[in-house]
Amino acid sequence: MISKLRLQSSYAEVVILILALVLIMAVASIATPGFLTYKHITMVLYVNTMFGILSLAQTLVILSGGLDLSVGSIYWISTMVGALLMVKGNTLVPALACLLMGAVIGIINGAAIAKLKVPHVVMTLAMMIILTGVLYVTTGGGGHGRATELLISFSTGRIFEFPIISLVWILLSVLFYFILKITPFGWRIRALGSNPVASRCSGIQVQRIQITVYMLSGLLAALAGLLYLGWARTPYPTFQSGAGIGADLTLKSIAAVVIGGTLFSGGRGGVERTFLGVLILSILYSILIMAGLGVEWQIMLNGIIIISVVGVYSQAKTR
Amino acid sequence: MANTHSGRTTLHGTSVVGKRLLALLSAHYIYILLVVFWIAASVASPYFRMMSTFSNIITSAVPISLIGFGQTLVVLSRGFDLSVGAVASMATAVASVTMVKGIIPSIILVLIFAVIIGAINGFGITKLRIDPFIMTLCMMFFLTGINQLIRPSPGGYIPDDFKGLLLYQVGDFPLTSFLILVVAAAVGFVILQKRKFGREIYAIGGEPEYARMSGINTDQTRVKVYIVSAVAAALGGLFIAARIGSGNAEAGASYLFDSFTTVFMGGTLVTGGVGGYSGTLGAALIISSIGRILQFLGINIWYHFIVKGVLLASVAGFQLYFARKGRRSG
Repeated sequence: MISKLRLQSSYAEVVILILALVLIMAVASIATPGFLTYKHITMVLYVNTMFGILSLAQTLVILSGGLDLSVGSIYWISTMVGALLMVKGNTLVPALACLLMGAVIGIINGAAIAKLKVPHVVMTLAMMIILTGVLYVTTGGGGHGRATELLISFSTGRIFEFPIISLVWILLSVLFYFILKITPFGWRIRALGSNPVASRCSGIQVQRIQITVYMLSGLLAALAGLLYLGWARTPYPTFQSGAGIGADLTLKSIAAVVIGGTLFSGGRGGVERTFLGVLILSILYSILIMAGLGVEWQIMLNGIIIISVVGVYSQAKTR
Repeated sequence: MANTHSGRTTLHGTSVVGKRLLALLSAHYIYILLVVFWIAASVASPYFRMMSTFSNIITSAVPISLIGFGQTLVVLSRGFDLSVGAVASMATAVASVTMVKGIIPSIILVLIFAVIIGAINGFGITKLRIDPFIMTLCMMFFLTGINQLIRPSPGGYIPDDFKGLLLYQVGDFPLTSFLILVVAAAVGFVILQKRKFGREIYAIGGEPEYARMSGINTDQTRVKVYIVSAVAAALGGLFIAARIGSGNAEAGASYLFDSFTTVFMGGTLVTGGVGGYSGTLGAALIISSIGRILQFLGINIWYHFIVKGVLLASVAGFQLYFARKGRRSG
């Protein structure tokens, strides 16, 4: 009964999200004429593809009751390593190497969290600083290497005036939507997030699921980094917001997941909500920029949004 | 020092003198490690034997240990405070802007801000039931934004009086820094071992539900813990401001990792309820010594990040591994 109730309310929440998105788009289109053209909408999708894939990765981790603060760093290191490896002109091998690297970093995260029981925040925070150090030691901070023409044409290309990489993002979202809804693996992720003890008692291999989830997160983050490489050609990572490389991206990804209504404690939510969350958040950012407010305000807005949404949800849960 | 480590051991085992001694040693293993580390380093490098090195280690251990102080209390009460680094940065930024008007009012202003930040953290965590990770993470980014607005580029004015007082040296010996460490150790000991507040922190960290049932106002205590953490971080930030002689919106960021590393290395369990400040203090000295050694070896600053990250992950991992092992055998 409870599950049925929850399912119903979950659809209602998705409808509310869509309404919120429509409202924000209406506001934006009033503020700037030409917002609701096909060209601009696909542009919004295109610009936010990397952000969207990172948020997708974060959704999986948060659904399993974890948190991955290293997605932004994995994204940047994949970009930089890809750029350095692609100088020779080969595309496929460097791309696979980057994806493998992302997966391995994810496995290290997951193994430490699952086997050694290091708190997820501590482990992924440590990974973030390690990767920041590795990135600057190996590359000296950017401006090295270059993407191959093949990758550039993939990242900037369009099919029927629709960006290819946004298509990748949408396909990945659909794929993971079905994985989470239909496959036992998806159910186990959510079971783990909603009650780890009960999951272990009912015979779910908790550790394996955790490691797989962090591996997927690293893999997707590395993929996002590769797509960005094709776009930026020669990347310059920005060492912003103090904590480490890519920390601002990580926070944005968490904000998108939370604004989509995926419970921060795990178990409830989904990638379709994160998709909407990414769109809402990105249009909010563009409204901020149109109002002449800089990056600092975006960072602050992220913090405020996460806190208020999490606060409201946790109040609703206790009632 | 009546540490909880020794308390636990006597609970499980038969209380023999030898066992108590062993417990005492294991509770303060960090200082043995520190001495061994110092001896090894002075054998390895002639620079390490100089007094100025020692003084430098003490001075750079001050902000680490102050920020670690708050983090120790928070971790003991089963929480996490990711905003300490940003609070320290806030302190340097605000101080560099307002110290033109007067040193004392500026310090008071910084501390008021810290109390407000800590209270908001505590309120969100206890009343709104937001996860400590997410609450303090958001606070960290919120403050990062604010710091960028207060101090877009490093600079500002820190009076020479303020710098002179905090960095006062007798010969090569950093008197003020040393006194700060001693006072911090004393305050940590008194709060955690002698006061009701400290006992309540241990009780909440050990078993929050039992603590609540036994009549402790857990919400109030936890709010206080986060306020103490923010204030300690702000004090650390003021010291950083004196050291770098200016304000910097990102000066405190790296201290977040240091605070976790010192707390875990000092034997305070990630799961809360076990540990103390003396371990954190010893670990702060070790961390600042490691920084000095890396500097002497002429290693690129970015390697420090890798070393720090690996240290944090391994300390947190092995600590829990050993704790589980100890519980199984003991």
